[in-house]
Amino acid sequence: MHSEPTTLLQGTLGLLILKSLVAGEMHGLGISRRIQQITGGTFFVKPGSLFPALHRMEEEGWISSFWGDSEKNRRAKYYRLTRAGQKQLEVETRRWGLISWAIAHALKAS
Amino acid sequence: MSLILKVHSFLRNLFLSSRIEVDLDQEVRSHLEMLTEENIRAGMPLQEAQRAARIELGGIEQVKEQVREERVGTWLHSVISDYRYGIRQLRKNPTFTAVALLTLALGIGATTAIFTLVEAVLLRSLPVSNPAQLYRLGKDPDCCVRLGFSRSGDYAIVSNELYEYFRANTKDFEELAAFQAGGTFLGVRHARTANPAETYFGEFVSGNYFSMFGLNANAGRTLSVADDTPAAPPAAFMSYRLWKQIYGLDPSVIGSVFNINDKPFTLVGIAPPDFYGDTLSNVPPDFYLPLATEPFVKGESSLLNKSSAGWLNVIGRIRPGTNVASTEAQLRVELQQWLRSHWGEMSANERLELPKQTLNLGPGGAGITTMRQQYSDWLHILMLVASFVLLIVCANVANLLLMRGMQRRQQTSLRIALGARPTRLVRQALTESILLSLMGGAVGLVVAYLGTRMILHLAFDTTTQLPISAAPSLPVLLFAFAVSLITGIIFGIGPAWLATRVDPIEALRGANRSTRDSGSLPRKALVIFQAALSVVLLSASGLLLQTLRNLQHENFGFDRNHRTVINIDPVLAGYKPAQLPSLYSGIHDSLAALPGVASVAFALYSPMSGDGWSETIYVEGKPEPAPDVDAGSGWTRVSSGFFDTIGNPILRGRPIDDHDSNRSRHVAVINETFARKFFKNEDPIGKYFGKAMGSADDYEIVGVARDARYADFDFTKPPGAFFFLSQSQSSEYSDPNAASTELRSHFLHDIVVRTQPRATLSDEQMRRALASVAPNLPVGRIQSLDQQVENNFSQQKLIAQLTSLFGALALVLASIGIYGITSYNVARRTNEIGVRMALGADRMAVVRLVLRGAFLQVVLGLVLGIPLAIAGGRLLGSQLYQISGWDPAAPAIAVGLLALSAFLASLIPAHRAVSLDPSRSLRSE
Repeated sequence: MHSEPTTLLQGTLGLLILKSLVAGEMHGLGISRRIQQITGGTFFVKPGSLFPALHRMEEEGWISSFWGDSEKNRRAKYYRLTRAGQKQLEVETRRWGLISWAIAHALKAS
Repeated sequence: MSLILKVHSFLRNLFLSSRIEVDLDQEVRSHLEMLTEENIRAGMPLQEAQRAARIELGGIEQVKEQVREERVGTWLHSVISDYRYGIRQLRKNPTFTAVALLTLALGIGATTAIFTLVEAVLLRSLPVSNPAQLYRLGKDPDCCVRLGFSRSGDYAIVSNELYEYFRANTKDFEELAAFQAGGTFLGVRHARTANPAETYFGEFVSGNYFSMFGLNANAGRTLSVADDTPAAPPAAFMSYRLWKQIYGLDPSVIGSVFNINDKPFTLVGIAPPDFYGDTLSNVPPDFYLPLATEPFVKGESSLLNKSSAGWLNVIGRIRPGTNVASTEAQLRVELQQWLRSHWGEMSANERLELPKQTLNLGPGGAGITTMRQQYSDWLHILMLVASFVLLIVCANVANLLLMRGMQRRQQTSLRIALGARPTRLVRQALTESILLSLMGGAVGLVVAYLGTRMILHLAFDTTTQLPISAAPSLPVLLFAFAVSLITGIIFGIGPAWLATRVDPIEALRGANRSTRDSGSLPRKALVIFQAALSVVLLSASGLLLQTLRNLQHENFGFDRNHRTVINIDPVLAGYKPAQLPSLYSGIHDSLAALPGVASVAFALYSPMSGDGWSETIYVEGKPEPAPDVDAGSGWTRVSSGFFDTIGNPILRGRPIDDHDSNRSRHVAVINETFARKFFKNEDPIGKYFGKAMGSADDYEIVGVARDARYADFDFTKPPGAFFFLSQSQSSEYSDPNAASTELRSHFLHDIVVRTQPRATLSDEQMRRALASVAPNLPVGRIQSLDQQVENNFSQQKLIAQLTSLFGALALVLASIGIYGITSYNVARRTNEIGVRMALGADRMAVVRLVLRGAFLQVVLGLVLGIPLAIAGGRLLGSQLYQISGWDPAAPAIAVGLLALSAFLASLIPAHRAVSLDPSRSLRSE
């Protein structure tokens, strides 16, 4: 099932991107596929949402970019996690845990 | 996100934008390639792989656009690109841009010109320090001399003694200053020169006047408290304007001696360049003299030491943090205390009125606001009129933009089909409109400058030195900018929004062949709106022009033709009362000897000269008038032969003539209204009256003159009661006020010269005749009586002329609008016309078709405009004279003019329609 996460919770796309970069630096397409993978196929991020998010996060200083060679020796733009990004990941993870606990709790009640 | 990072990104996006763009483009393309490869690896053929990749990507440009929007500072980037796009568009259509710019410049310029005047007269404060702290005595401006302890309104003009009482007892004021209400003309001669005295305007001020205003001298020193004592050597202070104009900023003038009214004064300093005194007027003072020198200069007509003679205005600087209401209350108490201290000198009436005497404290930052009161009404009307013109201009430019929007429909729908967002297109169109209007505003500033100069020239005598500059000040610039911006938004937003309401399919369908007029409604509405406004303006100008004509041709009770008025001031040359009779007879004989002179007479002031004296009348044998009853009359003093010279007919009895001398019984001539007011149902001839209490038998009435408008300027009211006394006769009074008035009234100010119908007499001849008998008598203005009367209508003239100008402008703009839409319709319906003609319609039918379209809008405009015009006529009410706001002639003429212009405007398109070749028009796409 494909759905757009960005319209729902803006923060979650950022969280997913940061998480997928923990494994190592990746280009845009790779990040997109990785998110698909780690969410068990639930979330498919269109380039129209991915690229703005990547560029915004780069401006925020959580990821940095550089041009490198992809498989097949093509030039592609790669992204890597920065120190600030790692910290942000921890923050977001905690926040997400809190939110999901709160909602789960609310649904269990009454 | 840290601020530093944000700023860094912002700047990077701003300055490295091209590099970032290239980068982004490469990134998105490489993504697309990788997607394609992925698909190939999954087994898709090349074409299929590429297509699937493109679908997944969603479009290169779209993705790039979405990234751009996320960027920090993206709004600025798009604003800049919108601006660049707008400039490009405007340059591509130079005719359109030029026409729009010109009409905008006219509209914005006209509005800004009026605002320049509004700001200078209605809004500005005096050029002094901290005007907000200044407070003045008197709710409304009052001028100039008020004798006695009672006031009919509030105490706005006070005597010197009362001023000093206030100053000593009111601690709330840091400084309380007083200055002569209305100023005075002075005869000034620089001691070093041999030239005769020149007349200049001046004002007596208290010693702390300049320190109260917080002003320093531009050169030398200001008048100080030390100068304002009886023992101090007489000091004078000069305006910068005079120092520059006459003495060329010569520093040696400071410290030299000037003879003012033949009394020596030392000039101690020069005022700052932009200081024009305490009153905005067209005669700013050139000399400031200390109050203490008033008796020295004025001699027997001095008012300084008369405790009940009010002749001073009072303005003070209040201590910061003071509650003004409590200061006002305190001043009121002080007034009562001071009045009570003069109980013994008061008349019975004044004692009765004492408890009612009050005063008001009002903001004084703008000084004495006489001009504000006078011009407020017509400035508001002009502002309204100018806004109408601006609205019409907006409608015109909006129409132009709509037309262009229609032309670009294909292009716009293509852009939308390609993914441009409508809001972005609206923003671009709006940016273009604002650019257009800002440029129009810049050119409009030039129009405003020229327009203001023209208005100032028309409204005020060229001989005056009104301290209003046509050059735009900061508030004016801000106003022009704001108006331009708002104008741009008003005329831009409609067309911008409408232009984007296109179906993208249209782009693909090609030029439409329908005759249905989808986008014409707003354009038609605009033309109707313009037509309506034009009718209102033209109708208003018609009413005002007729008012002016009525005023100019009105018979005011005297004959305006072949009469010249010479303005003199014997006070300035230091004449004593005993010398006056021989002065006047000498001047009379000298002028009468000139060729072409039919008669010469003197008056204290001539009709409609701007001056006015009035007194309470005490009729012999009748009880004293009650305090709240109007028992006043205007009056003047005239020489023998005056009535004949001025052309005011005597209806009963005789005029003032040579029989009347100081040895014969004292006589008076009254006017019809005086007779009706004080001698209703009786014959006034032979009855007695007086102008001071206890002297009711002073004057015997010997004649009744026809009512003439002497000194009342409210044209909506009939002339008031008036009486004339002889220049040769003088009464004695025990009351010092009455005696002083009597004395001053013998210094006559106007010489009226009646010339033979075909004679020409030059000013030079008259001046020489005067100089031959009275060489040191300063001669002021010489003008025809006609001109003197006309000067009273300068406001009406100006407002009528300007409204007509604006009305004509509105008509031209509305006609252009009608022309535009009619020719557009013809162009659009070329096919239809071709078909009709091919089917046998004759030329007249085609012309009728075209004209019908144009006239439909005009008729609708009239339906809208006529009620508005009539409402406008009612609004003008107070400005009209002898013409009712309901007068149908004005709207009727306006309608006729509009119909005529509409007809002329439609002629060219009609001609074009008629000369269409049917076969060609059928072929056109």
